[in-house]
Amino acid sequence: MNAKTTKTNNSIPLIGVRSVSFSYGAKNTGRALNRVSFFINRGERVAILGHNGSGKSTLVKIMGGICEPSEGVCEINGQDINNLSFRELRRTIGLVFQDPENQIVAAMVEDDVAFAPENQGLPPDQIQIRVDIALAETDMLHKKGASVSALSGGEKQRLALAGVLAADVECLILDEPTAMLDPEGRLKTEKVLRYLHSEGMTIIQVTHQIETESFSDIDKIIVLSKGEVKWQGLTEDFWDISESLGFEMPDEMRLKRYFNLKGLKFPDDFANINIPERVFKTPRKSGSLKYNIEGLYFSHDSKNKVLQGIDAEIYSGEWLSVIGRTGSGKTTLIQHLNALYKIQQGKIYFDGSELPQKGEEVHTLRQKTGLVFQHPEDQLFSPTVKDELSFAPKNAGFDGAELEEAVMYGLECSGLGSEFLKRNPLSLSGGERRLVAIASVLSAKPECIVLDEPLAGLDASYQHIILSMLGRLRDEGKTVITVTHDLKTALKYSDRILILRNGRKIQEGTPDEVIGELMKSIEPEAWPEVLRISSEIKKINPDFPFIYDYEEFLKCISQI
Amino acid sequence: MYITDINLGQYIPSDSFIHRLDPRAKLFSLLFIISSIFPSKTVLSVFLWTLILCLIIYVSKISWKIVLISSKPVYFLVIFTFIFNIAASLFKSPDLRNAVYGALFMSSRLLILMMFAVMLPLTTAPLELADGLDALLRPLERFRFPSHECAMMIGMALRFIPLLMHETDKIMRAQLSRGARLDQGNIFQRIKAFFPVLIPLLVMIFRRAEEVAVAMEARGYDGSKGRTRRRPLLWKKRDTLVLVFSFLTVMTFFMLGL
Repeated sequence: MNAKTTKTNNSIPLIGVRSVSFSYGAKNTGRALNRVSFFINRGERVAILGHNGSGKSTLVKIMGGICEPSEGVCEINGQDINNLSFRELRRTIGLVFQDPENQIVAAMVEDDVAFAPENQGLPPDQIQIRVDIALAETDMLHKKGASVSALSGGEKQRLALAGVLAADVECLILDEPTAMLDPEGRLKTEKVLRYLHSEGMTIIQVTHQIETESFSDIDKIIVLSKGEVKWQGLTEDFWDISESLGFEMPDEMRLKRYFNLKGLKFPDDFANINIPERVFKTPRKSGSLKYNIEGLYFSHDSKNKVLQGIDAEIYSGEWLSVIGRTGSGKTTLIQHLNALYKIQQGKIYFDGSELPQKGEEVHTLRQKTGLVFQHPEDQLFSPTVKDELSFAPKNAGFDGAELEEAVMYGLECSGLGSEFLKRNPLSLSGGERRLVAIASVLSAKPECIVLDEPLAGLDASYQHIILSMLGRLRDEGKTVITVTHDLKTALKYSDRILILRNGRKIQEGTPDEVIGELMKSIEPEAWPEVLRISSEIKKINPDFPFIYDYEEFLKCISQI
Repeated sequence: MYITDINLGQYIPSDSFIHRLDPRAKLFSLLFIISSIFPSKTVLSVFLWTLILCLIIYVSKISWKIVLISSKPVYFLVIFTFIFNIAASLFKSPDLRNAVYGALFMSSRLLILMMFAVMLPLTTAPLELADGLDALLRPLERFRFPSHECAMMIGMALRFIPLLMHETDKIMRAQLSRGARLDQGNIFQRIKAFFPVLIPLLVMIFRRAEEVAVAMEARGYDGSKGRTRRRPLLWKKRDTLVLVFSFLTVMTFFMLGL
């Protein structure tokens, strides 16, 4: 499909961005983009890196012809994008966005992929050919007759990709295409992109996160910061200065560079090294038993068993991570903890007494155990941050000075200044909104806080803020429970880990205790990179331990 | 308490005679049938239509359970009709037996009528349904009625209903977690308590609508202008047969005074 006869000279870049500026509204003080210039050649795979608010989404809209630049020009095949006809533009550039749900227009898979070729006015048989090819290219042929609502998040994003490919475009521009996906969905999407690139497709990927799998395939990197191009160049030159640009190098890359520096061959030179005595993370002195779960069953109907007999103990003053693939029952389990799901079978004890299931006691429970859903910023509704933070404590019966104090407590936990109290939550940045949403649960002063994927979609700086906030809460003696796909964070920060698979508990224990089981439950591609490297070494050196933390790995090999 | 039937009234893909029919044939037949049931006065007619409905469900290969679950919203309307009818006829004359009999007839007639309507989206893919409506409304374009846009809107609405239900459920759970009292107090307190659900939902809908519009534009959507279809509606012999058959049935019912 990509072997298209190109009308234009190959020496002209496919996309030329020349001194492009853009601002939203006249009164806006800052420009979203300021004199951005770069070129992208046919067949290249380019990453545009930038933190939240760097102007990268605006840039996507300009290159895609959705927005017009206030100054400068954007050229496609040497022609000003404004002079291109709507049809020509749409047949050259395809756009894929972060949330697959917002790109799928039809309820059935095939109908959706057909949308673009239908808009191009192709005859039915040719539309069908385009649909079949696009589904094959995205590895979605097996879902051809399925309905969209039956797909997983990763499949939906590949469907969105197929929907764009069916337009037979020359260039794909993707805005954070994997940010909302689980590791499995991310890997499969990445595989598809790599395949398309190998077939000659030009791919421009806008992202805030560097992942090893994708970067091995990327030719060129453009770093965007505060609306300006801070750096651009080849991928291999990027790593020398990445840290100074504010991007962390992936652990695997860091280690391999370290090996090179020391002249070590991986993994051969690690075959016979002496391994120093390992200091295991000492289990924290746990507080009192907070939750005791015995034989918890839950099913939607006879076929759909979600939880199949879970036993678990959760203590105060500990950080527990619940880990498992999508569909393992994690979300259902945590929604039992504050009685959002009623217990069908089994028992849950909270502070020694049975978990209330109805009446006023449930409200008391929900004050004591705060639950933060995935993307909690989507649940804000108040005109000011102060009102938002007052909602939960007010519902819990806080009043007057007590309420004021609770609001300030929530704000303090989030680390946001008191100047935020008067602001409208909708006017804040994504990261700030997430902090407000978490603070709006903490302001009820819960003893126990449960968070579903609290770091999803955030850039590194906000991830650090939230991780250290959770660490502080745990040190205050609260129970912190996080549900996550992110093994690296779970292993590094949590005190204990609970592994679920198909609604059953596989194991529960400290990170070092569960690591073996974890590696069996989760596919290697989703392991922390350091763990992947140490398991490579373990293959030739059985004494070598499974290490998941970068610093610890360095300590372990320091003798060589 | 929460919304669990995410698949309410959604298309159930299957390969049956009913599924394969042209959406226009189904739409017209439905119109005929409704226009026949609506004014019917006899128990026999309701009984016969029930038999026909059962036959259609059987031929469509959709499980009875799904049909019954998908008709859930209809039940409230039917129960309301039942109670309202009893009250209304008791108001006229105090004959309870007659009132119950009358209400039972009225509500079962409504139930059958609505269930015929429920079968349409269950057996027709949203886009096909939209195309069918588009074709039927096309003559109105002469009066500047935006038939394509209307049909597209209905198709998109059907696509986004499950998503919206899912999001509503999630927001409700999140606000309950923050101690919201959604199911307590008098009607005014309940309405007020629902704002924390309604506002995020509206914000979400507007944001999605904007992003969907951008994504559609990016895929070259420019209204109906120059647009073709992957599966153009094809009127076949069986469609004519079904249409003629349903017309004759309706006429027979009419002639027999059923």
